[in-house]
Amino acid sequence: MNRLALFFLSLSLMFCTCVQADMEYRLQPRQIAQDTYLLEGSTENFSKTNGGNIVNTGFIVTDSGVVVIDTGPSRRYGEAMRKAIASVTDKPVIQVLLTHHHPDHVLGNQAFADVPIGALAGTKELMRHHGDVLAENMYRLVGDWMRGTETLLPTQTLTPGILEFGGHRLQLLALAGHTGADLAILDLDTGVMFAGDIVFYQRALTTPNSPGLQVWLGDLDTLQALPWKLLVPGHGPLATDARPLEQMRDYLGWLDGLLRNGAAQGADMAELINSPIPERFAAISLTRYELIRSVSHLYPTYERAQMVRVDAR
Amino acid sequence: MKRILGRGAWFAVLLCLADVTQADPGKDPVTSVMWAYYQQKFLKDQPFVFDEKVVLRAPPFAEDARQVPIEIDARAYKDEVVRILAWAELNPLPQIVDFQPIDRVLPWLSIRIRIEQATPLRAAVLTRDGVWHIGSTSIEAAGGGCTAPSVVRTQPGWEEHIGEVLGGRYPKAGFSRLRMQIAHPMDNGMVSGIPEFYLNQAQLKDANGKLLANLELFPAVSENPTLGFDIEGDGETQLSLRDIGGNQFSAVVK
Repeated sequence: MNRLALFFLSLSLMFCTCVQADMEYRLQPRQIAQDTYLLEGSTENFSKTNGGNIVNTGFIVTDSGVVVIDTGPSRRYGEAMRKAIASVTDKPVIQVLLTHHHPDHVLGNQAFADVPIGALAGTKELMRHHGDVLAENMYRLVGDWMRGTETLLPTQTLTPGILEFGGHRLQLLALAGHTGADLAILDLDTGVMFAGDIVFYQRALTTPNSPGLQVWLGDLDTLQALPWKLLVPGHGPLATDARPLEQMRDYLGWLDGLLRNGAAQGADMAELINSPIPERFAAISLTRYELIRSVSHLYPTYERAQMVRVDAR
Repeated sequence: MKRILGRGAWFAVLLCLADVTQADPGKDPVTSVMWAYYQQKFLKDQPFVFDEKVVLRAPPFAEDARQVPIEIDARAYKDEVVRILAWAELNPLPQIVDFQPIDRVLPWLSIRIRIEQATPLRAAVLTRDGVWHIGSTSIEAAGGGCTAPSVVRTQPGWEEHIGEVLGGRYPKAGFSRLRMQIAHPMDNGMVSGIPEFYLNQAQLKDANGKLLANLELFPAVSENPTLGFDIEGDGETQLSLRDIGGNQFSAVVK
C-alpha cells in the first residue's frame, strides 16, 4: 500500500515538474518583411497548455528602435516577447501600439512599462472599465501562466494618421467592428498591414464587444481599399492576398443572415446555437464554440428589432 | 367488515401503485449530487423516470450567466402533459418555472435564466398517468449570474418601463410561436441592498378570456424575462402578469 502511494506520489511529482518546465512560451520571431517580425500564435482556444498564446503579435525594428504591436496574453508572454526581440536586435524598444483592449493583446503590457504604450482613446476606456474582469477570466482559463499579471493601462492616446519611427511611416486606422475601438496599422514603407482583430483567418471571429456586424463589414472594405502587400490577422496565418477579408465577409454575412432569419422566424437562442454551420467554413477553427458565444452577444438586438410593443400601458 | 375489506382493497391498489413508484427510473444522464434532494422536494414520492423524450436544451456553457437560454420540449407527450417544473440544481435560488399548459398551448417553453455556477438543469414533466418524466442537461459557467448587479437598474428611468412588453407571433407548421419580452428587473434579493422584486405569475388567455396556460415564475428567471410559447389555433392571445409587489400588467399579441 505504501509502495503504491509512493508510486503515485512520484508519478504526480514527475507530472508537476513537466508542467512547470513546460510553462514557457518559446516565442520564435519570424521575419515577414524588411525589419518586420511576427510572433504567430495558434488558432486554438485559451487553455492551460497554450498559456493563451493564441494571438499574433509583431514588432518592427526601425532605425530609432523597436515598435511593438500588441503585448500578448500575460506578463510572462510580454517578458518572453522582450527576450525574443533581443534575440534579433540590440536596438531598444521605444514604443508599444495596442490594437484593442482584449486580454490576449494587452496583458503583456507590464513587460513594457518603461516605454510609451499607445492605444485609441476608446481602447483605454474599455481597459479601464473591463480590464480587471478580463484579466481575472484569463486566470480562470489559462491558470498559472498568468502569475503576476495585472492590467497596465495605456500611457498614450493614439489618433488616426501617420506616425513615423526611424524610417517607417505607420498609418494608424481607427476602426470599430470588433470592439468599438480597433486600431489597424499599415506600414507604408513595407506594405505590412497589422489588422488586429478586425481580421481573423482560419479561426472563428469573436463578438463580445462588437457594435454590430454591419460596422465590421464596413471596416473590411476600408482595409481592402488600402495598398498593403502583406496582411497580418489578429488570429490565424498571414496572407499576401485578400483571402482573409473574403473569408471574414463570407462568415459575417452568414452570421448576420442566420440571426436575422432566426429572429424573423421567432427562433430562440437555444435553437440557433445548434444551427448547421456551412461546409465551406469547415477549415475555420472553433466555429461552433464562437457561434454559441455570438448568439448570446448579438441575438438580443436582432430579436428586439423583430418584436413590437404589445402591452396595454 | 365490508368497509374494512374495502379499505384493504384500497390499500392493495396503493401497494401496486407503490410498486410503480419503485419502478426503475433509469440512469441519471447527468452527474448530480442534488438529485435525491430535489426529487423529495418537488416530486415527493411520486413515480418518475429519466426520459430522453423530454428535451431540455441549453448551451454547453453560459456565455452570459445572467441570460442563459433554455428550451423545454415535451411535445413527445403532447395532450398528456399536466405540469412542467424546471430548476437549476446548484443555484442558490434553484426554481425556474412551474408551467401548466391547459388548452392549445403545447408543452414547449423557452425562457432565459440566471445561473450562479456550473450546474445540472432539470425539467420535470408530469403526465396524466401521474408519472414525472425528467429531462436533464448540464451547463458549464464561469458563474456569478445570480449575484451580478442588475443591468436594467443601470438604465436611467428604468422604473418608467416596468411592464412594457415586446412581442411577436411567428407562424409555424400547425401552430404559431409566441415570443414576449417583459421589462422587469426580476430582483432576486441576492444583490446587496435590493430586496426581492420579480414577476411571479403569468397567464395566457384567448380572445374570449379562456385560460390557455398558467405559469409561476421564480427569481432564477433573468431580468427582462424572455418567454416563448407554441400555440395551436387562431386568434389573439392575452398575457397577464403580476409581480410580488402586486403590480399587474397585460399585453395582447395579435
